[in-house]
Amino acid sequence: MDNTVKCEKRDQFGKNAARRLRREHKVPAVLYGANIDSVPLTLEKKDIFSILKSESGENTLFSLQYGSETSNAMIKMLQKDPVSDQLIHVDLIQIVMDEEIKVDVPLELVGTAVGVKSEGGFIDFITREVEIECLPNNIPDSIAVDISALHLNQSLKIEDLPPMEGIRYITDSDQVIVLVQAPTAEKVEVEEEGEEDEAIEGEEGAKASEKEDEKD
Amino acid sequence: MLMPKKVKHRKHHRGRMRGKAYRGSDLNFGEFGLQAMEPAWITARQIEAGRIAISRHVKRKGKMWIRVFPWKPVTKKPTEVRMGKGKGDPEFWVDVIKPGRIIYELEGVPEDIAKEAMRLAAFKFPIKTRFITRHNEVLR
Repeated sequence: MDNTVKCEKRDQFGKNAARRLRREHKVPAVLYGANIDSVPLTLEKKDIFSILKSESGENTLFSLQYGSETSNAMIKMLQKDPVSDQLIHVDLIQIVMDEEIKVDVPLELVGTAVGVKSEGGFIDFITREVEIECLPNNIPDSIAVDISALHLNQSLKIEDLPPMEGIRYITDSDQVIVLVQAPTAEKVEVEEEGEEDEAIEGEEGAKASEKEDEKD
Repeated sequence: MLMPKKVKHRKHHRGRMRGKAYRGSDLNFGEFGLQAMEPAWITARQIEAGRIAISRHVKRKGKMWIRVFPWKPVTKKPTEVRMGKGKGDPEFWVDVIKPGRIIYELEGVPEDIAKEAMRLAAFKFPIKTRFITRHNEVLR
């Protein structure tokens, strides 16, 4: 762990103070962990960007200096503005180096599937991250998934991932990672939010407008 | 066209479109997406027209996800009817889109084809949109 991030403790709170910080290319952050009280902090944006650009990305371990204290930390969550893409807030979690932690590690597809090369299929990359449990020093940058042997309609699951020393997969072993699909039929999936349950009363409403549609 | 199977209330209030879409603003399924940059009522017809535009351009290859659903009924009074005598009848269905909302996601096609498909779909909407990709995520 050669990264060191210097930051300041934050004593001003609320949206006005946070906006002032963001104008100065800083970002409000908070550090928390199992054995400490949460500490509000101010970070330089460029420090966070350099961590994110490193090979291990969000799973990078770094040493955090605030005031006279130093602790090992990792990025737990990033909040960003969906329109301006501005970094709004960073959650940091304190890491105890001899305790196992759960992290999401990206999966990387290696090779070109036979089903794509010669059978006309396409790759449906369903699970892009896998949750693992390991010691902080053992976190891999990514896990390679070899898909070159996959034929049409074949899939790889979490249970097919290579076992790695000191790493335990937490994600359900039946979860499909990647599937070679045939592009024969039009595939459209509508993501419906769980609002169906509340539909009880005015059933006629939808039916009435359905009838009107039929008339049209 | 998309519409709810059952509804709790036949007629909704119009409401306001304030704020940004902090939910439904990330790519969850595919590699590419079309993101709304303005608030609007998106009708079921527009969603369907966009879907057809994408599906025709990618020649039914790949896989598409529609991330919006028209939950909101919009009522209209018949023509040449005097004001009053209650709210009109449900006419069509819309979804209230806030800036940042992902409308479509696409997977299994090359980036240039996905970009062109999303450009064609974007013409169907009354709002500004942008094409986003998973590997090209920007943070400012």
